[in-house]
Amino acid sequence: MNNLDTLPKKKILSLFMTCGFPTLSQSKKIFNEMLSHQPDVIEFGLPFSDPMADGPIIQEANKLALSSNLSTQQSLNLIKELSKSKNNTSFVIMCYLNTVRKFGVDKFIKNIKNIVDGIIIVDLPFEEESEIKKSLSKNNIHLIKLISPMTDKKRAQKLLKDSKGFIYYISATGITGSNKLDYKEINKNVKSLKKMSKIPVLVGFGIKSKKDVLEISKKTNADGVIIGSALIQKYFDLKMDINKYLIALKKLIKEVKV
Amino acid sequence: MKTYKQPSTVGRFGEFGGMYVSETLMPLLLNLDKSYKKIQKDKKFKKELNDLFKNYVGRPSSLHFAKNLSKYINGPKVYFKRDELNHTGAHKINNCLGQILLAKKMGKTRIIAETGAGQHGVATATVCALFGLPCYIYMGSKDIERQKPNVFRMKLLGATIIPVESGSKSLKDAMNEALRDWIKNVRDTFYIIGSTAGPHPYPKMVRDFQSVIGKEAREQILKVEKKLPDYLIACVGGGSNAMGLFYPFLNDKKVKIIGVEAAGRGAKTEETAATMTSGTPGILHGSYSYVLQDNDGQIKEAHSISAGLDYPGVGPEHSHLKDIKRVKYFGVTDKEALEAFQTCSKLEGIIPALEPSHALAYLIKAFKNKHKNKLVILNMCGRGDKDLFTAAKAIGFDADE
Ligand SMILES: Cc1ncc(COP(=O)(O)O)c(C=O)c1O
Repeated sequence: MNNLDTLPKKKILSLFMTCGFPTLSQSKKIFNEMLSHQPDVIEFGLPFSDPMADGPIIQEANKLALSSNLSTQQSLNLIKELSKSKNNTSFVIMCYLNTVRKFGVDKFIKNIKNIVDGIIIVDLPFEEESEIKKSLSKNNIHLIKLISPMTDKKRAQKLLKDSKGFIYYISATGITGSNKLDYKEINKNVKSLKKMSKIPVLVGFGIKSKKDVLEISKKTNADGVIIGSALIQKYFDLKMDINKYLIALKKLIKEVKV
Repeated sequence: MKTYKQPSTVGRFGEFGGMYVSETLMPLLLNLDKSYKKIQKDKKFKKELNDLFKNYVGRPSSLHFAKNLSKYINGPKVYFKRDELNHTGAHKINNCLGQILLAKKMGKTRIIAETGAGQHGVATATVCALFGLPCYIYMGSKDIERQKPNVFRMKLLGATIIPVESGSKSLKDAMNEALRDWIKNVRDTFYIIGSTAGPHPYPKMVRDFQSVIGKEAREQILKVEKKLPDYLIACVGGGSNAMGLFYPFLNDKKVKIIGVEAAGRGAKTEETAATMTSGTPGILHGSYSYVLQDNDGQIKEAHSISAGLDYPGVGPEHSHLKDIKRVKYFGVTDKEALEAFQTCSKLEGIIPALEPSHALAYLIKAFKNKHKNKLVILNMCGRGDKDLFTAAKAIGFDADE
């Protein structure tokens, strides 16, 4: 069973959060809060020292998580523990390749097998993926594809051939947390992706509020949204008060669950 | 050894190299690779670049017999390949001219770069001034502090400097920020990477543009000595000046090649930048190569007195050359480099940058009273003007006295 194969048809909600942020024990509380809303997908960011594709907010979250020497094993253990109450929520790991390679690809997969449904390896392009993809698919873990506005049609077709889970469409050329949303362009590209593949297309990067979520659903053909930086930003807005943050997080998730 | 022919078409030097970047950049890199392949065959491009090398940079740089230093070492005959005489004071300009011509051909209208010592930043700002393109330089705030003369130079040349406060506030973080800028501004921006690091095709492209150093040196030494050198020595940060000198000699099996890394306070300490001596293979800035990292693959901060060598990674081609044992790599400490910096200044009347001072330190240490009748070419890849404040402070010289 892979929860990603039974995602709803429309209005899919995926929530991203960095593991071990701000500390391991507080991170558990945050994920439990997220899980209590039963979103369709939770993305677990594994902190990396050099998150090339991430903006300042997720960078800061990574830095905080790593400042208490969080290990990859601790992150994976946290995900395993949370999976006991996962129900229909799909678990997806989002990470950089060096984390997986250094841990050992086989050992990594063994640790997440039957727990995690999909994985996004941000800096593993199609050209470099074949070996890891094989090992993942043997263990029923989907390698989720990122598509950017720079990916042309021919390349997208190549990338999406027998892809599984969902398509992560990067809504703005930019790092996580960037703000410009061009609905016209998003719609055009999402439409074209939907012609190439049957799996859902989720739009991520730069989605911040209920308003953004509604606009995406109204103005584009996307099947859902991914929210990350906006969830983390609240923690800094609230001057790193974890109790206030948990309340604000609950409120924000309720809002975006339209 | 078979004839050396690297990288493969997918940018692999043995197992190293590759393109580990997000899908936002991937189409750009593939496009860059294609454009680069095209201009390699373009005679007009070659001519344009050679003209600039000759009339703007002042190439060929001379090959100077360092008589006094040779006498002091009491070993081999030492030649300096004097790329420190280049316009802007280092080898970095060779690569910047190549890349900006390519950027122009690709129709890009905005240039970004990272810089450590500021030499690559100055070289990039220079070519941007020459070609009239807006220039944005990412520089760690720690490096801004220790390379002030170059910061002012870049500003004079019209560049905008963007201080980087993340991580160790030095070269690694400047490169992260430059890559993020590129991801955000993919359509109009060309990223001029300053060393043989980063994703394919950069390591190959930068090496090719820098290999003018080795090509000239080979001709020059054959002319004066009627034979090839026995040793080549160069410092290695990301590895561009070293690859530039080494590459045209890789198939000359008798030429022994030595790369010198910055070992900071010692290769066995945590305060080092000697990636190949103390690191393990991993992925940084889009390329698989030796890196300084912990057991979880978190990249460590590097340390070196020389801002240009203060980088926890190294170009993939060097990693390959290390593994096939074609090049040997050694570490030199801050202290040793500072001593060589002074020795060379006094003996040869050439104030070297702190980067090649590492190569000099290794030469003095390892060749003292040895290898008589041998020939050495050392890449004098930069001059010391930019380092005067740092060196004065480290040596304990008070300019007001
Ligand atoms: C004079 C000089 N030498 C060497 C380096 C190190 O770079 P690379 O190893 O690419 O030559 C720098 C970098 O800034 C430099 O300024």
